[in-house]
Amino acid sequence: MTDTIPTIAEAARLIAAKRLSPVELTRACLDRVHALDGRLHAFVHLTEGRALAEARLAEAAIMAGGPKGPMHGIPIGLKDIVDTKGIPTTCGSKILEDNVPDADATCAELLAAAGTVLIGKTTTHEFADGGPSFDLPRLPARNPWNTDHFTAGSSSGTGAGIAAGLILGGIGTDTGGSIRGPAALCGIAGIKPTYGLVSRAGVAPAAFSLDHIGPMAWTAEDCALMLQVLAGHDPRDPASADWPVPDYTAGLGSGIKGMKIGVIHHFHEVDYKVSDGVRRGIDAAIATLRGLGAEIREVQLSPLQDWGACGSLISITERAAAYDEWARTRLGDFSERVQRRLMLGALVSGVDYVQAVRRRRELRAELKAAMAGLDVVLTASQTGEAPNLNEVPVWDTFAAPSFTMPFNVAGYPAITVCAGFGAGGLPVAIQLVGRPFEEPGLLRVADAFEKATDFRNARPNLAAAALPA
Amino acid sequence: MPTDIADEALDFLLARAGLDLTAAQKAELKTVYPGIAAMAQRVRQPRGRMAELAHVYNFGPADLGADLGEDAP
Repeated sequence: MTDTIPTIAEAARLIAAKRLSPVELTRACLDRVHALDGRLHAFVHLTEGRALAEARLAEAAIMAGGPKGPMHGIPIGLKDIVDTKGIPTTCGSKILEDNVPDADATCAELLAAAGTVLIGKTTTHEFADGGPSFDLPRLPARNPWNTDHFTAGSSSGTGAGIAAGLILGGIGTDTGGSIRGPAALCGIAGIKPTYGLVSRAGVAPAAFSLDHIGPMAWTAEDCALMLQVLAGHDPRDPASADWPVPDYTAGLGSGIKGMKIGVIHHFHEVDYKVSDGVRRGIDAAIATLRGLGAEIREVQLSPLQDWGACGSLISITERAAAYDEWARTRLGDFSERVQRRLMLGALVSGVDYVQAVRRRRELRAELKAAMAGLDVVLTASQTGEAPNLNEVPVWDTFAAPSFTMPFNVAGYPAITVCAGFGAGGLPVAIQLVGRPFEEPGLLRVADAFEKATDFRNARPNLAAAALPA
Repeated sequence: MPTDIADEALDFLLARAGLDLTAAQKAELKTVYPGIAAMAQRVRQPRGRMAELAHVYNFGPADLGADLGEDAP
């Protein structure tokens, strides 16, 4: 088992130069899965045989004619709400314990066509909601930086798996922060693209008008490589945008001198005070970006709680509608946490929902105006470092406002990247937000930040981490 | 919007939603009702009846395809 875990970009270069075998890389990932996943619970279903077969095919094709692209031969994981033909897709629920889809989700199809190697299905909160839950068929994922601690969710297994080097990249989904939360707490990168950029077809819904699919990986550059494969119009998804797909890596490495970055200080200093560690990470990140030549400006928006109320009311209602039949007939088959979420649907009136959707229009217009003349804005991603698994509030919807939900409400692209380490040596993160379909500029800033800092050089020390038996 | 909810009102809403909850679940749900009420208050802006409707739609090419004529009554 290798101790050196390459990024996707590094592995792609080595594979293209025929200095790294996709089969060896896949075996190394599987070795790490076998050594570590009994404690991390990043996977709910391994596809070991398929992975080795795909890796052999990739290797043969690459030896014969070179890689079809940078994702060829790269080991990945798919969140277990992504349909995979012939492979169990349980959505982390007793209700779908025996579900084996007969078709791939579009994102799974695109990644397979790019030549990726599927290591398995990764742990999710039940139907991408609630969590951590201990009353489901599988245990929740644990944070590789300290396995007593939460990964955030709902793309918890993808986050843990990437941080621990079990996979190089994976798919997450994000309705209120389910890509960016695990990215932040697990110390990796995760991008929620513009609403409609990546097809949701074949992925279990959480809330139709807030759901996004996106890549998670160790670096922003790796997210760009994955997004290149995933972006594009799909007639199977009614929200899919028919929009040209640019080269997401073209601007990487070209610096950010003169780019204009807004900072929403009041979100994390007034509306809800983040932990000292997160605050230090944000302050240091602003200094780093300024040092790279970016112009920093102040941005004022409606209070974080307004965005949260809007997103929560929409999310609660759309989720209750999506799972209405099972809520009425099989409520007790959901985890207690998801039962609580579904119960909330009864408390939101039709007028409340419509007012929330009207409010969304106003908030989107506000963000558009605030971002005029700016390339990206920067804000917190999470309120603090990963909490202990036993300390996650049962009613977390009401415990603290979400720093990620505003950009689900707006549909704007947002990426979370590691900004250092806080209390207990746990990762802290920043969130960068771009204008719709301007992921290239967003990724350029995130990549420049990562390369100007040394946070990508530190992996969780799993040998020393507190690993429960 | 009231910030608490009577047992009868909660029972009505749950029955309307078709949810069959235990007494403990109902009691717990009552404790978070103020949170929902606060959210509803936040999205209720003074915008007037002529403000943009929440749900509008446009006919796109997929809605106006050749099969539309065949399916039309």
